Formats: sequence, C-alpha cells, structure tokens
Amino acid sequence: MIVSGIAAGSTYALMGMAMVIIYKTSEVPNFAQGEMALATSFFTLMLLEQRGLPYHLAFPAAFLFAIGLGCLLEFAVLRRAKEPSVLGFIVITIGLEMILMGLVSWKFGADPKTMPFPISPYDSIAIGGVFISSLELLTLFVALVLMIILFIFFRFSKLGMAMKATQQNHTAARLMGIRTNRMLMLTWGISSLVGCTAGLLISPITMQPYMMWDPMLKGFAAAVMGGMTSLPGAVFGAYILGIIENLFGGYVSIEFKSVIAFIIIVLVLCIRPSGLFSRHYVKKV
Amino acid sequence: MKNKVVWLLAAAMVFIFGLSLPVAAEVGVTDTEIHIGQWGPQTGPAAPWGSIARGTGDYFKMINAAGGINGRKIVYHMFDDGYNPAKTKAGVKELQEGVGIFSWVAGVGTAPGLAVRDYLMEKKIPWVGPCSGSLHWINPANRYLFPIYPLYIIDAKALVKYAVEKLGKKRFAIAFQNDDYGKNGLRGVRESLKKYGLELVAEVPVEIKDADMKPHVMKLRKAKPDAVLLWVGPVHAVKIVGTSKAMRFAPQWLSTSACSDFPLMMHISKGLWKGVIASTFASLPDSNDPLITKYKKEVHEKFAAKNERWGIFYYAGILLAEPLVEALKRCGRDLTRERLVTELEGLTDFKGLGGTISFKPFDAKDPYGTRQGGKEVFLIECLDGGKAKKLTDWTYFDYRW
Repeated sequence: MIVSGIAAGSTYALMGMAMVIIYKTSEVPNFAQGEMALATSFFTLMLLEQRGLPYHLAFPAAFLFAIGLGCLLEFAVLRRAKEPSVLGFIVITIGLEMILMGLVSWKFGADPKTMPFPISPYDSIAIGGVFISSLELLTLFVALVLMIILFIFFRFSKLGMAMKATQQNHTAARLMGIRTNRMLMLTWGISSLVGCTAGLLISPITMQPYMMWDPMLKGFAAAVMGGMTSLPGAVFGAYILGIIENLFGGYVSIEFKSVIAFIIIVLVLCIRPSGLFSRHYVKKV
Repeated sequence: MKNKVVWLLAAAMVFIFGLSLPVAAEVGVTDTEIHIGQWGPQTGPAAPWGSIARGTGDYFKMINAAGGINGRKIVYHMFDDGYNPAKTKAGVKELQEGVGIFSWVAGVGTAPGLAVRDYLMEKKIPWVGPCSGSLHWINPANRYLFPIYPLYIIDAKALVKYAVEKLGKKRFAIAFQNDDYGKNGLRGVRESLKKYGLELVAEVPVEIKDADMKPHVMKLRKAKPDAVLLWVGPVHAVKIVGTSKAMRFAPQWLSTSACSDFPLMMHISKGLWKGVIASTFASLPDSNDPLITKYKKEVHEKFAAKNERWGIFYYAGILLAEPLVEALKRCGRDLTRERLVTELEGLTDFKGLGGTISFKPFDAKDPYGTRQGGKEVFLIECLDGGKAKKLTDWTYFDYRW
C-alpha cells in the first residue's frame, strides 16, 4: 500500500512542483497547469503517431513546446491583464484551462487514446512480494531528480535568485536591473516544462481530454499542504497524500479514497494555515 | 325575432370561421417538418459516448436526403449536456418549451435521463431508446417511454451463465462503477450467481473520478477470483486490466457492452484486451449484416465528420433511432403523439442493427413485456487486432428470476 502510495504520489509531486514554481514568483495558483500538460501530451502524441517522429526527437520537441506554451500564455494573456487582483488571476487561469481543454477536445476528439512509450506501462518488478511497474519507477525517479534540480536552481543559480527576487519585491528587483517581466515569462515556461513531464508519464496508460484534472487537483492540494512556496514541501505533501489515500482505500473505505485527501488538507490548513513546510510570510505594508 | 337573427348570424360565423381555422396541430410537427431532440455528452469525461448522438444525426441526414418521412423532413435538435443532469434538464426544457419537440430519441446516461424522465412523461411526450440499460426506464412503467437498450441485468445474466456453464468458473468478483450503471450490474451478477449457488468473493466500487486503480486491484487480487466482471467505463476497465497485469493477476475478464468497442479497447490497452469476453447489443462493426454494410456506406461515408470512427457507439445512435423512424413511417401523414405511441406498440420482432425489438399495448403490470423493446444480447471475445469472435448467438433473457 505504501509503495503504491509513493508511486501515485510521484505524479502529484510533479504537478505540485509546477504549481509552486509559478506561485513562488507571481503568487498565482495556476489552475491551467493540468491543461498545459494536457496540450503538450497530445502534441507529443501527434508527433509520434501522425508525424512518425522517433522518441529522441518527439520528447525534446515536446519539452520545447511546453516551455513555449508557458511563455506564450504569460506573455499573451497574463501580462495583458490590467492590474488584476489575485482573484482576477485565478479566474484567468481557470478560463485558460477551459480554453486549452476545449482546443484539445476539438483537435483530437474525445475517444480515449494511449501514447506509445519506450517502456511498457504494464511491466513490473517484484520487490519482496510488492509489485511496482517500470513506469511508476520512472515517474518516481523523474520526480526526485526534478525536485533536486529545481531546488539547486532556485537556491544557487543567478536566474533562480532573480526569479525569487521578483516574487519578494517586484519594484526592488526591477531597480536592481532584473527584467521582471522576462522572469515571470520564464517561470511560466519552466513550470509548464515540469508539469508536462507529469502529463507525458500518465499518457502511456490512457489519454483523454479530462485526464489531467485529478492530478492537477491533487498536485495543488499537495502544494497547499507543503506550504505553496516550498518545492520539497510540495513533494513531501504529494507523497503523504498518495500514501494516505492508498492506506485509507485499502483498509478503511475505497469509496472515500479520493475524498480523504481533501479532509487532510482542511485539517492541515486549520492547524497550520501556511502549510507544513512554509514559514509564516508576513507582507510589510 | 331580432334575437333569433343575431343567434343565427353568430352560428353561421362560428361555422364559417370554424371551417377555415386549422386543426390544432401537434407540437413539433408541421406540414414539412418533424422536430426530434436528443442530448449527448460532447465534452467532459463521458464524451467518448458523444458519438451516439452524432450517429443519430447522420442517420437522420440520410433519411432527409432520401426525401424524409411521408413528405416531412426531420429537424434534429442535439445539444451537449456534458453528462451533467442539471444541464440535461435545462436543455430539454429550453428546446421543448422554446422550439417544441415532437419526440425525444436516445440520450446518453441514466442520471441525465432520470433528470428529465418525469418532465417528459407528465407532458406525454414520447421518448424512444434511452441510451442506458437501467431498470429506471421500466420501473415505474411509463406509457410514453420506449426503452430499447437491453437491461444491464441481462448483460450480467448472459456473462455469468457463460462463465459458469461453459468456462466452469466458480469464484467471481466485480469491479463496478459506484452509480446506477454499476449497481444495476452488481444486482444482476449477485442474482445470477445465486441461481448457481454461488456468491461474489469481492465487490469493489470504483468512483468515476478515481484515477489510480492499484487499491482496487489489490482488493480483487486478495479475494483470488477466477473471473472478474468489469462494470465500469472503458478508461477504468483498461486501467484495472493493466494494473492487474503489472501485479501478475490474470483472471478471466468479463465486461459489459459499455466496453465492447474492441478496436478501441485493444488500442488503448496496448493489446491487453485480448481474451476479454463482453456482451454486446449490436451487430459487429465488420460483420456482413446487410444493414451494417448499408449504414456504413449510406450514413457514415456520406454524412459523418472527417474524424468520426465507425464504432459501435456511433452506430448505436442509429440502432436506437430505427424503431422511431419505422413507427413514424407507419403513422403516415396523420402524425400525432398518440398515433406514434400506437404504431410503436405495434412493432413486433422489428429487426434493425440490434436484437429483435417488440413492444405491446401498454400494461402497467407488465412493463418488461410491453415497454422494454430490446431483450437480447450476445457474447463476443476479443481477438488480435480488435477483431471479435462470436461466442453465442443472440439470446433472449427475461430480467426476472
């Protein structure tokens, strides 16, 4: 049960990290995150099945598409919003989510599909009587590697620092010569790239226009649990969520398996409103 | 005298104007048109079944291209309800009270259908072929409701009978969608097993929004069944079979007609659907049934959208509308709802793309005999390339035990 929980949690972790990246710089919970990954996944399917591209070309092209899509949405939509409140931003991202899902449904139809992938999603290895599929192992590996890379990027790289500075004080960052608009655009690009890996790792099983809704919600929940600004927090929250869901489904009630995740979040937020891993953030007036 | 003249004049006026007034026409019927409505999910999680409503639309296009029915063209009103009962209700009311619909046909889903059943029945509007095998269409009995889709309980009977009698299976488990569709199946399986002195060894509910099937498969595997019935949608079915393969659990899978689109199931399961046994309510897509050949050529090739696949759910939209079209033809020019009901009741052993369909004059005490049109299914096994092997012929089932 715990191993299954960790496996399920890896997808939530990827989505959670993607949401945290945007939140860290712009304080916007991006509800279009799932559908950005959805669009990239279907784009990859098109490259693989319709254009006949090999994996080593299709996947890098997908990553570039994801970055481009993220940057485009920030540049063409978010930046154009005139002095929006956080609520306004949320509504914009929900609108984007619906538009992207509509476009994918229109272009690719609603029939379920599956994406060709170098490894079979149904092969597994047995460790002491516990089965874990090779795709789950890959997802776990990708989630942990991305977490480490992103942690190092935000902590030690110049670009990462500039992004953090943009979030903490937009005006001061600008005065220090940081091109804040460009930083925001890049943040959306990186976030879209991280999110798309979740989509690409779900797609070898089944693909349909609705497939990213659940991982996005769970990823968001994990990020909230972890404190919304902490990458390790989002990952930790995601694994806790996956494990509790599975344990509850296995031993208590399978009907309420999905609901329990949100009950825990409500409890966490009641006891520790800023999340498990975040320091209380007080904005100076 | 003066009074008499006035009365005579008034009577003459009433007579003259009375003659020139048109006879009160039926709602949704004009001299040249018949308005038929249907809802169907074109967006949202149930959108794969949206092809049903599109199939009906293309079928009506073929009929109109051939001159319509008794000089009237069908005006088809289809709307996307996203499988959301609130939207279904709003859409049906809007069309019924705005445009004026003569009769409703098909309409995907039990929950959306239930949202409008009472409204349509109270207004005495005929509704032919709701697209689900729920008991709600005959319980309680409704004079204006003509279900065609065989009951899910019949699917259960057919599958259990075959698995016990032909395959010798004894330990059965079920994974069922936790709604009316799944619960109808669960009830059918329980009752069918009882007949053989057997019981389910595991009953695992699946919520529509569940994405990870590992806990479900763990429960199934723990009970060590030799046959598992799948009363879920195609995506959940593929995930359950796939997760089971990863967990080295390989029972005989038995599935409902909802997952009988083998080419699709084989594709999305990457070949794992091979060997699955399913019940089905329609002729096979590549069979040499003359009607399949005709509709493929006359409906799908001529009127379907570019990316529309010739799959079982696309032509289920035709299958569910065939009895309505036949009854409309039999009505002649004198088209009223009561006449349509009478003509539908006159259909005996009508053979379209599905099993034979019969209705009888309404008897509230025998809704299955008088109102449930489709009572036959047959079983198929999935082979390589999504081909189907016929395991049984069309078989009649009574839903009562």
